[in-house]
Amino acid sequence: MRGRRVKVPSLLGDMPASLGGGALSLRGEDTGRRRFLFVVPPLVGHINPTVALAAELTSRGHRVAWAGHRETLEPLLRPGSRIYPAEDPELTAKLQDARREWLGLRGPAALKFLWEEFIVPLGHAMMPGVEAAIDRFRPDAIICDQQALAGPVAARLNDVPWVTSATTSAEFTRPLAAMPLVEEWVREQIGDFQLDYEIEDLLDLRFSDHLVLVFSTAALMGDTSFFPDHFAFIGPALGRPAAGAAADFPWEWLDGKRPAVLVSLGTVNGEAGERFFRVAAEAVADLDVQAVFVAPEGVLPDPPDNILVRPHVPQLKVLERMSAVVTHGGHNTVCESLAHGLPLVVAPIRDDQPIIARQVEGAGAGLTVRFARASAGELAEALFEVLTEDSFTEAAERVRASFAAAGGAAEAADRLEKLT
Amino acid sequence: MTEGQDVLGEVVAMLVEVVGEDFLLDVEVGPDTTFNRDLALESIEFVALAEKLQGRYGDRVDLPAFIAGMDLDEIMNMTVGDLVAHIGSRLGAAAV
Repeated sequence: MRGRRVKVPSLLGDMPASLGGGALSLRGEDTGRRRFLFVVPPLVGHINPTVALAAELTSRGHRVAWAGHRETLEPLLRPGSRIYPAEDPELTAKLQDARREWLGLRGPAALKFLWEEFIVPLGHAMMPGVEAAIDRFRPDAIICDQQALAGPVAARLNDVPWVTSATTSAEFTRPLAAMPLVEEWVREQIGDFQLDYEIEDLLDLRFSDHLVLVFSTAALMGDTSFFPDHFAFIGPALGRPAAGAAADFPWEWLDGKRPAVLVSLGTVNGEAGERFFRVAAEAVADLDVQAVFVAPEGVLPDPPDNILVRPHVPQLKVLERMSAVVTHGGHNTVCESLAHGLPLVVAPIRDDQPIIARQVEGAGAGLTVRFARASAGELAEALFEVLTEDSFTEAAERVRASFAAAGGAAEAADRLEKLT
Repeated sequence: MTEGQDVLGEVVAMLVEVVGEDFLLDVEVGPDTTFNRDLALESIEFVALAEKLQGRYGDRVDLPAFIAGMDLDEIMNMTVGDLVAHIGSRLGAAAV
C-alpha cells in the first residue's frame, strides 16, 4: 500500500505538515488537517472497512470520529476512538428481538424487512445523534455508510460535504433491474425519508454526488467504466485490528502438507447456519484437506481429525495459510479471501450475498452452492473443483492484483483529501 | 381444466427436483404454496426452476418477465398457483 506518512517534527507541536504537497503551511487556519466523521449502522461488516480507512487518515494527521451504536463500535475501534452515540435504545431492543425473525427471511421478504424494519427506522433513530455529532465535532466531511440514511440527510441539512461508504458493491450492479417496481419502491423509501426532514430536492442517498468509495474493483464486480469519476473503486481496506489474537491460534495444527480451507459464515448464525456447518464437516471429512471452521461452540461437538473448530480466528492471518474459502458471501470475507488470491465456494443466504456470489462466479474465482439445502456431496464437489482446477486460483489471483493496484485505504484517503 | 392440472403437476415435479424430495417431507406442495415463505426458494434454486420452465415450455413462458410486472408484496406472496395460472394463460394465448 502506498501512503504519505510524513511525520512532523515535535518542534511544531501537533501541527502536521500541509498534506497538499508536503510543504509546511504556516497559516494556522489551514494546516491540511481535516476532520472526518463516519456515520455507520450497527453492523460489523459495515464498520470494519471504516476502521482501516480511519487508521490511514489519522496516520496522515487527520482527526476522525464515528456516529453510531456505541456498544457495537467500541470493540471494533482502536482504544480511545471518539464515538458520538447515534441510536435509540428502544429500536436497538426491537432489533435484538427481530433478529430471530430476520434469520428466517430470504429474498424479497428480507429486502422488505431490511428497509421497513431496519434502514428507515435506524435512519430516524440516528438523526439526533448525528446532528449532535456534527455540532460538536465540526467535521469537514461526513463519510456515510449506504445503510445509514441519517448521514447524508444530516450532512445536507448542515451543509457539510458527504461521501458514500459502500462496504458492499451490490448496489452498483442494479440488482433489482429485473424487478422495476421493487427498484422503484426502494427509491420511494429513500425519497420519503428526505421528505420527513423537509428536503425536497431528492437525491438517491446511496450515492453521494461528491465522492463514492466502493471497497471493490471491476475485476470482481464487472465493468465499472461507465461510472462518473467521483465513483472511486478502491478495493478492500484491510488494515483492521484482528478479532482473534494471533497468539491464541494453534498454527502448528496446520500441517502444510494438504490444502487448507477456511469455512466461515461471518457473524451470522441460527439453525440454518448450524446445519450448514454439519454438512460442510461431512463434505470435508472425505477430502484430503485440513479445514478451519469459524463456528460457535457446540455446533460440531465431535469433529473429524482434519477439522479445527474455533469460535473466532485472526482471519487475515489465517487466510495467509489457506488454499480456498467456503463462505456465505459476506462482502468483507469474500474480498479478504480474494485479496489473498484464494478461490471461493459461496453459499449465499440473503441480502447482497446472492449478488456477491454471482460476482465471484462471473469473475471465475469460485462456485455458488445452496445454503439451507446444500448437500455434503454438492459442497464436496464444488470445493474439490475450486481446489484442483487452476482457472479458479488464476481468476482469484487476477482479482488480488486488481485490489492491490486499486490502493485501498491510501487511495480513499487521497480522494478524501482532495475533496475538502 | 385437465391442462391446468397437468401444468400444476409438472411445476410441482420441477420444484421437487430443484429443492430435493428430502426437504419436502413436511410440505405438501400445491397451488397455495408460496415460493418465499413456504419453500424459502434460494436464488440459485430460482434460477434452476426458471431453466426448467424454459426447457419445458420454451419462450412462451418467461419467468423473469412474469416477475418484472410484480411489486414487492406480490413477489413475496407469489404462489405455485400464480405461476401455474401464468403458464396456463401463456400456453392458451400461444394456442390461439
